[in-house]
Amino acid sequence: MSARMRAHVTPPGTDPSTVVVIGAGVNGLVCATLLARGGRKVTVLDARDAPGGAAVTREIAPGFHVPAAAHDVGPLRADVARELKLEAHGLEWIPREAWMTALDGHGRAVTLWHDPAKAAESLRAFSAADADRWPAFMAARTKLGRVAASVFPHTPPSIDAPAPKELWRLLQTARQFRGLGATDGYRLLRWGPMPVADLVHEHVETPFVAAALAADGVLGSMLGPWSAGSGLLFLLHAANAVAGDPRMVWPKGGPGALTAALCRAADQAGVVIKGATRATHIAQQDDRGFAVHLENGDVQTGHAVVSAIDPKTTYALCDPMTLPAEVRWRARNYRTAGTLVKVNLALSALPVVPGADREQLATRLRIAPDVDAMERAFDEVKYGRWSPSPWLEVLIPSLVDDLLAPKGAHVMSIYAQYAPHTLRAGTWDHERPRLLDAVLTTLDRAMPGIRGMVVASEVLTPADLEREWGLAGGHIHHGELALDQLFTMRPLLGWSQYRTPIDGLWLCGAGTHPGLGLTGGSGANAAREILRAR
Amino acid sequence: MRYDAIVIGGGHNGLTCAAYLARAGRKTLVLERRHVLGGAAVTEEVFPGFKFSVCSYVVSLLRPEIIRDLDLPAHGLELLPLDGTFTPMLNGDYLWRMNDHNRSRQQIARHSRKDADAYDDYGMAMVEMGRFAKPILGMTPPDPMSLDPRGLLELLSVGKRFRSMRYHDKVNQVQLLTMSAVDFLDQWFETDALKATMSASGIIGTFLGVRSPGTAYVLLHHYMGEIDGAFRSWGLSRGGTGAVSNAIAGAARRLGAEIRTEAPVSKILTRGGRTTGVALESGDEIQADVVVSSVDPRLTFERFMDAKELPDEFLAGVRRYKYRGSSGKVNLALDALPEFTCLPGAGEHLRGAMSISPSIDYMERAYDQAKHGAFSERPYIDMVIPTLSDSSLAPPGKHVMSCFVQYAPYHLKPGDVWDDARREAFGDAVISAIAEHAPNIRNIIRHRQVLTPLDIERTFGLSEGNIFQGELSLEQLFFLRPVPGWAQYATPIDRLYMCGSATHPGGGIMGAPGKNAAEKILKDAKR
Repeated sequence: MSARMRAHVTPPGTDPSTVVVIGAGVNGLVCATLLARGGRKVTVLDARDAPGGAAVTREIAPGFHVPAAAHDVGPLRADVARELKLEAHGLEWIPREAWMTALDGHGRAVTLWHDPAKAAESLRAFSAADADRWPAFMAARTKLGRVAASVFPHTPPSIDAPAPKELWRLLQTARQFRGLGATDGYRLLRWGPMPVADLVHEHVETPFVAAALAADGVLGSMLGPWSAGSGLLFLLHAANAVAGDPRMVWPKGGPGALTAALCRAADQAGVVIKGATRATHIAQQDDRGFAVHLENGDVQTGHAVVSAIDPKTTYALCDPMTLPAEVRWRARNYRTAGTLVKVNLALSALPVVPGADREQLATRLRIAPDVDAMERAFDEVKYGRWSPSPWLEVLIPSLVDDLLAPKGAHVMSIYAQYAPHTLRAGTWDHERPRLLDAVLTTLDRAMPGIRGMVVASEVLTPADLEREWGLAGGHIHHGELALDQLFTMRPLLGWSQYRTPIDGLWLCGAGTHPGLGLTGGSGANAAREILRAR
Repeated sequence: MRYDAIVIGGGHNGLTCAAYLARAGRKTLVLERRHVLGGAAVTEEVFPGFKFSVCSYVVSLLRPEIIRDLDLPAHGLELLPLDGTFTPMLNGDYLWRMNDHNRSRQQIARHSRKDADAYDDYGMAMVEMGRFAKPILGMTPPDPMSLDPRGLLELLSVGKRFRSMRYHDKVNQVQLLTMSAVDFLDQWFETDALKATMSASGIIGTFLGVRSPGTAYVLLHHYMGEIDGAFRSWGLSRGGTGAVSNAIAGAARRLGAEIRTEAPVSKILTRGGRTTGVALESGDEIQADVVVSSVDPRLTFERFMDAKELPDEFLAGVRRYKYRGSSGKVNLALDALPEFTCLPGAGEHLRGAMSISPSIDYMERAYDQAKHGAFSERPYIDMVIPTLSDSSLAPPGKHVMSCFVQYAPYHLKPGDVWDDARREAFGDAVISAIAEHAPNIRNIIRHRQVLTPLDIERTFGLSEGNIFQGELSLEQLFFLRPVPGWAQYATPIDRLYMCGSATHPGGGIMGAPGKNAAEKILKDAKR
């Protein structure tokens, strides 16, 4: 009743319970839903016509539905999944029993099943040593991932004045770290700053398997497998696999089905979602909250604004005079150089992959002969060129999900690395078809004849990802996952607690802790922080 | 004859350690394999009349407390300032930074006003960073996995000092530890050659490129150096870097240490998990209470000991420790001075460091080649002409020029080896790269000595030719150097210690590992 009364005496748009969320991606929707359940009146704006952000399924040819941007979702963090109960809103997972299948591109395949014993068997065909070491390697990965994951559900502590609760949590993490014992404790300290190439080579000798594993350390980043710090990304992926159920990464119907369930949950909580509402300016109206100006000329007012889009773009939407000079400078230097290209294919038939059976093909495929080849692919992007021999991550979701393609036909979703956001020479319009050709050439070696099966195709370069999804620099993680842009420093040191220097303006996207993958983690953490704030 | 302590290796760290042990009244013996002292900090007359700092060639990080404690000037140490860095650019111009901040600023302003302004801010920021980092150099790294309260308190004190910094400095500090040199500098500067030259300090002695994360950290070293209290200056040692070693050796002898050259060790003797002394290649055995090894972990534990004497996990750590030498050295005896096309004449610019680092891409391409197993055809080169300030090194009118070159990987691609032909090809590539900017170089070379990483390994006993006794990469620093859990100069063998650059805080003629190790040994003896 008191909320009603306040609403009565305050002018429109300043109702203290009104919140505008910018961006209807997974984090934006999770945050909006939790805020609405916490009693806020939430409106979500999205620049695109349909919600979902990177989690969208779209038809690229009649009857062919592809995961347009992200081709895996989640795993949703366990607490997020529990809280949102998306299964009640129609979400159905198709479990995937393998982490990945490594293809050398010339007819050899190893499937790294989640079951370590089964994975070891697959490895044994190529290296007995790898097979023998595998279970221990995976046990270490899980153990270390668990410690890293323990900081995921919490707001990073304040560096200047940590609250007692934050100190307590840090202490718990420290205790958990020490509980690892010396061997794993040091391993954790070493893995972070290491090149992922060194990390995997300490455990795996089969070159194409090492490459497939190393890919975890470079996916979406401006890093090659020999770059220091790529070990950290490997570790963060391990943490994600512990924080949620790593088998639950494919919703029936594709990523768009997750979005649909999230929208239903949001709707039920009272959230209003408005499409085709690109925010162009976030204006502060002295103690009357915010006015978010839209491209179509409308204004959406709210007492608080929560931005699920990347931090760099968010800060750029603010009036520069409202930000401290240092923050403006740091935000401008926040690194968002995207390197990943998305290729979507509609195929007339299922490609044949020598060395891999149908069950193996239904997993995430990674194609690279060895880490040095990946490194060579990375070398190109440093000079503003795309890689003529990219490494690929390939998914054929229609193998497990019959909603996606006409009978007998298939869709394929590919991450290819590396390509720059801005070419140093030439234009993307000219280079895009040539890039597709290079991807098909690489693919054709691993899947002979696939070129002839392509019914329709689409290539999304980092520049396209920026234009169509608003990702600064086309960076799929909303900013580089580097040691200096993580945890208490994501996105900026001192502004990692989902707050910004503008009181009432919050961040909840992948550019905040913990980020990485469509886990809903950042959105849920931010919602909790916002609800707690007075 | 029985000693309190034997130090293996007469490099500057071994000698420093010995001097401190002797100063504490320990009967100390230093054993050096070669006929000269100094390890990598050595001066040798390579060609008649021409003396070279054969391996390491500049001095800056030598801890001032060591200079004071050992009274090194009294033993002949004299440091000559090296004035500035000169970089020829691709556009025919040059970039010249001097020790005088205002003159540097004016020079930078020729290329970018914005950069000239940023240069002030950057300099101030780095001085702050240096102030934070310096005490860490003199610290025995605490062990984060132990429950030793003293170590934890030390870690806490670092944390406290971090927290008390200004916001700006905190961010810089974190970024320095984790970013690439180029990313870090990009925040301040726009002039390509400026960023390339500054970032070069981040890759020296590592198998990393200027764009590799973790390289920003070494930028700091340039702001931690000091000579006679003059902050952030670099210098040469009169008589070459060997004079540094000789001064320390002089101090050690004066304090009672005994030093033997041409006394190669073949084995570290142990009994029941405790060291008892060393055996020499000559067959002699020398007993001692404590043995301190200043050579790298591979030699210490894999050459001088049997695997079965060491715990498996420790040995695995020793084997995992990365060397991956990446640099070479070309020493030139010159009939005349080089003449740069972009700034002719024998001006002041020849008295500082001359850097072949015209652009970031140039640096990165050099790295790419090395990464894939070949020496850089157009390498990064850091050159100094010590004879301009120290005429004792060459006959009158002649000069010596020291060229530090990166990259020359120790590990070449399968099938390739460092043979004589490849060494000469590498030397030719270096001369060509210099000649691009100073064409007369080809005509003034009287003698040329080319050292590949393999040569450095063979001559100086540095495994894989790594000039820092192991890469200065983040996972091999501080409490992880050289082996996690064994960063406090001690080893799993009782009374056997390490004191070389493979221990915290690493290489660069700092002397800190030698001093820190001596302190640790003396403290342990009290227990």
